[in-house]
Amino acid sequence: MKRLATAAGLFVMAGVCLVAGLLLAFWYAPIDASSMGFSQKIFYYHAPIAETALVAFGVAFVAAIAYLRTRHARWDRLGYVSVRLGLLFSLLVMVTGMIWGKAAWGVWWAWEPRLTTFLLVCLLYSAYFVLRSVVDDEDRRGALAAVFAILAFVDVPITFFATRFLPEGLHPVVLRAGDAGMEGSMLLSFLVSMLGMTLLLAALIRRDLVIEEVRERIADLKTTIGG
Amino acid sequence: MSVEEGAKFVAAAYAVILAVLIAYSIWGARRMSALQRDLDLLEKEARRRAQAGEAREEES
Repeated sequence: MKRLATAAGLFVMAGVCLVAGLLLAFWYAPIDASSMGFSQKIFYYHAPIAETALVAFGVAFVAAIAYLRTRHARWDRLGYVSVRLGLLFSLLVMVTGMIWGKAAWGVWWAWEPRLTTFLLVCLLYSAYFVLRSVVDDEDRRGALAAVFAILAFVDVPITFFATRFLPEGLHPVVLRAGDAGMEGSMLLSFLVSMLGMTLLLAALIRRDLVIEEVRERIADLKTTIGG
Repeated sequence: MSVEEGAKFVAAAYAVILAVLIAYSIWGARRMSALQRDLDLLEKEARRRAQAGEAREEES
């Protein structure tokens, strides 16, 4: 229950940052001077959600390695919860990206490097749940899921660097090394939203871990009691 | 693109984000309370059975 209280605290902090990020995005950051115009405002949540999704898959990658080393169930739980949240954030990125794409490029979808590799991330991590659902033995399921999470993570840096290595795509590149690619007020709005999304991810991971622990405790108790 | 035109897309994107995040948060909260209720019931049952077992041992 102490961890739920910590999660509640993180939810509050995330909420404050996300609302502040939104206010800054609409009332402090200027309207983008490029052809994107007002639709660029989508960026202030779209990009932080994308980065947070990749962070969640990073957490799952670390948890997978830790599970294979220790075989402790808590790492399997952390991996499972992180992939689920990573996928949720990825789906949000895909949907908001499509809306932004329609506004900025006039098309809902384009087979360009960033979008294609991100779609691949979504499909790969969806398969993670299929894999988990077909293996009954707990240890075997944990080990296979961990190996899969490590292999799937290979696509994460490819997605992140896709626009940098293949700049001919439609997707813009922001936050290059030594160049934020935007003016100060925009960067501040983005960073506050980024902090909010990261805190939200931490809060959701913490809460979902408690849910998974309680679920497992119930399963153990049912076995002990005998039904 | 004019502000009016862009605003429709921006509103749609933020509405999707808000709806999904709120729906997921509510799903989690409801699941947590349902699981907690089940856990309390099972723990009560486990305690009751343990006490009944102890009473039987004392009798024998």
